[in-house]
Amino acid sequence: MPETSYAVLGVFETPDALMKAIPKARASQLGTVEAYTPYPIHGIDEALGLRKSPLGGMVLVMGILGALTAFGFQYWISAVDYPIITGGKAVGSWEAFIPIMFEVTVLFATFTAGLGMLLLLNRLPFFGHPVLSSKAITGITRDRYALALEAENEAFDAAAAARILQEAGATEVEILPAPDRSPFLTSDYILRVAGGIFTACLGAGLVMYFAIKLFPVLAPMKYMQDQPRLNAQKPSSFFKDGHGMQRPVAGTVARGHLPTATGTQDESAALVNPLPRTKEIFAVGRQAYKNRCEVCHGAVGDGMGSLTAAYGAKPANLHAQQFRDYPDGKIYWAIVNGKNAMPSHAADLSEPQRWAVVHYVRALQRAQNAKDEDLKVVAP
Amino acid sequence: MSQAKHTANLLWGAVALGALGVAGSYAATGPERFWANWVMWFVLLFTLGLGALFIVALEHLVNAKWSVPVRRIPERIATLLIPAVPVGLIALAAVPVLYPGARPEAAHHPILAGKAFWLSLPFFSVRTLIAFALCLLALWMLVGGSLKQDASKDPAFNLRARKFAPAFMAIFALVITLVAFDWLSGLTPEWYSDIFGVYVFAGAFLSGLAATALAVLSLQDEGRLEGVRGDHLYNLGGFLFAFTVFWSYIGFAQYMLMWYANLPDEVIWYKVRLEGAWRLITLALAGLHFVLPFFALVTRDSKKDPRRLRRVAYLMLGAHVLDIYWLIFPILGAPRFSWPELSFALFFLGGILLWIRSAMQKGEDMPVGDPFLREGLEFRL
Repeated sequence: MPETSYAVLGVFETPDALMKAIPKARASQLGTVEAYTPYPIHGIDEALGLRKSPLGGMVLVMGILGALTAFGFQYWISAVDYPIITGGKAVGSWEAFIPIMFEVTVLFATFTAGLGMLLLLNRLPFFGHPVLSSKAITGITRDRYALALEAENEAFDAAAAARILQEAGATEVEILPAPDRSPFLTSDYILRVAGGIFTACLGAGLVMYFAIKLFPVLAPMKYMQDQPRLNAQKPSSFFKDGHGMQRPVAGTVARGHLPTATGTQDESAALVNPLPRTKEIFAVGRQAYKNRCEVCHGAVGDGMGSLTAAYGAKPANLHAQQFRDYPDGKIYWAIVNGKNAMPSHAADLSEPQRWAVVHYVRALQRAQNAKDEDLKVVAP
Repeated sequence: MSQAKHTANLLWGAVALGALGVAGSYAATGPERFWANWVMWFVLLFTLGLGALFIVALEHLVNAKWSVPVRRIPERIATLLIPAVPVGLIALAAVPVLYPGARPEAAHHPILAGKAFWLSLPFFSVRTLIAFALCLLALWMLVGGSLKQDASKDPAFNLRARKFAPAFMAIFALVITLVAFDWLSGLTPEWYSDIFGVYVFAGAFLSGLAATALAVLSLQDEGRLEGVRGDHLYNLGGFLFAFTVFWSYIGFAQYMLMWYANLPDEVIWYKVRLEGAWRLITLALAGLHFVLPFFALVTRDSKKDPRRLRRVAYLMLGAHVLDIYWLIFPILGAPRFSWPELSFALFFLGGILLWIRSAMQKGEDMPVGDPFLREGLEFRL
């Protein structure tokens, strides 16, 4: 037997009449009792016997989940995956996470409340609720109060329901036909939606392609490129001396590494290079030398760096006998404190890097002044 | 009635015992600790009265109907502003002892010298007197007028109160800011925070709300306030819930900005409170003032539940006391809690309870002359 009707709707003139009719309609047990009113009526929840909404619990759980997600995500990024010190704070400082945790909590909670209410509890999308196509709907949105006995199963007795509502004082009774419940996600519908999205993407892509072709000078987002900034070894009008690069404040050291060469150069001669001569150490030294020393001292340490001509300074030729006779500690001292025109590199190089540079300089000196036994092939 | 008499005797006993301890503590522990306690209880008394008066004015301001049946309760609690005046006048004697800005050394202090006039005892006293005068004026307008209405049944009072309420909001903002900056932040005058007045306001409003909820529930235990239902309690609970979050928001915003900027003159205030035993108290404050009441009141039914609401109200009042303690006592070094503090608590709590109990016996329990009383009684969520 097919479903013949969705519900029977009884229209009442006043909210009091509606409230009085609710117990009678519920006592008939003919179907689910539902009220449609232009505004919320006090006490109607209790009269209809509505269960407590599960939405509150869902929102609480999702809100807590949102807070934990935001905390975990930020902690993982800033303390585990890419620990970086920002603003002098310890990595993984929870204080900084709170605003974002708060936002994500609100985001999760409101999405759960909104979407949970619409999709889970009210079972949308559901186009065209049958009451919307009833004759009484114009009154229900203005000054009439409707009570519906909604069919729970196919044995719904619409005539009996109409009688009950009339007896309860309804001025008008209307039987609503069952809505069209054919599924709306048909293959045709899906195809048309997918086709529409594809066409829109294609159109947007073509427009973007020709727009970029026709207006190539309109570079997007150049703020970061154009901002005033200081470049290493470039002039800048920001500082009085016109240099972009400034000497670090006196006493500056690399984070976590206090300088050990604090006395005179001769006093430092006794320092011993603590690093072993391994491939990895030489690689570190080579990298640091290329970054910090090569522009002046040259790639092989002969004092013919690319900046020499521009500055008119005369960087040391590290192959001179004087420097080949230097103990490691004196080279280390020069790196830490600078010498003549050479600035201190204490702020740029950590202590292991400085000693690695010392090793590398020794390697350069040895390469330029090789002895016979150096030419022997090392057995693999 | 004998039960009530018994309680009153107990409270008088507590006040007498407390008074002995208070007097003894001045001799035994010196003026600094004595005055710190005194200022703490003055601030608690004053903020409780102000918070209750703020509730009354707020309901007039927005023309609220739901609150008419319970309005007499915050009106009675607001009369605590009357005993707050002598307590505050005595507290002025604490200014040269506790407040660095009012001491002669301030003249040589690079920062305080510029504010010398503002921080000096004479102008401090003038400000306090102006604040008292404004509060008593508002009390006379809002509470006195409401009591007169019981007999006269004159609806014109509602119109007058509604017109006065916006002016009261300006008075309230001024007075609560003076309390915060003069009496609390003035203890560490180099430290400065713009939001501090709002922080103190949040605590004051919460204490007024919690006291109102407690008084409503105890009167209902005696069978009074008939007609006040879960719907009214829900609104009180909802306010409590909302303003615990507000308090935490303001408190954390102040902390986070100072923590981030890490400026020595700002961050020292927190450094003191995050080291040693104070760290535990700070954590306890966050737990008792925010986490516990938040989860206790988060569901809809818990705001209507009288038992739950009563527990949270006790908790909020306790947390407010802890909050003011946390604001004042770090100037004395490590946390002090011993018989002087207990004596002060006995003396002032006993006094406050005696005052409120006698206020609760005077006149009608509801503003019977208010034309909106019926509408308020019919209030449904």
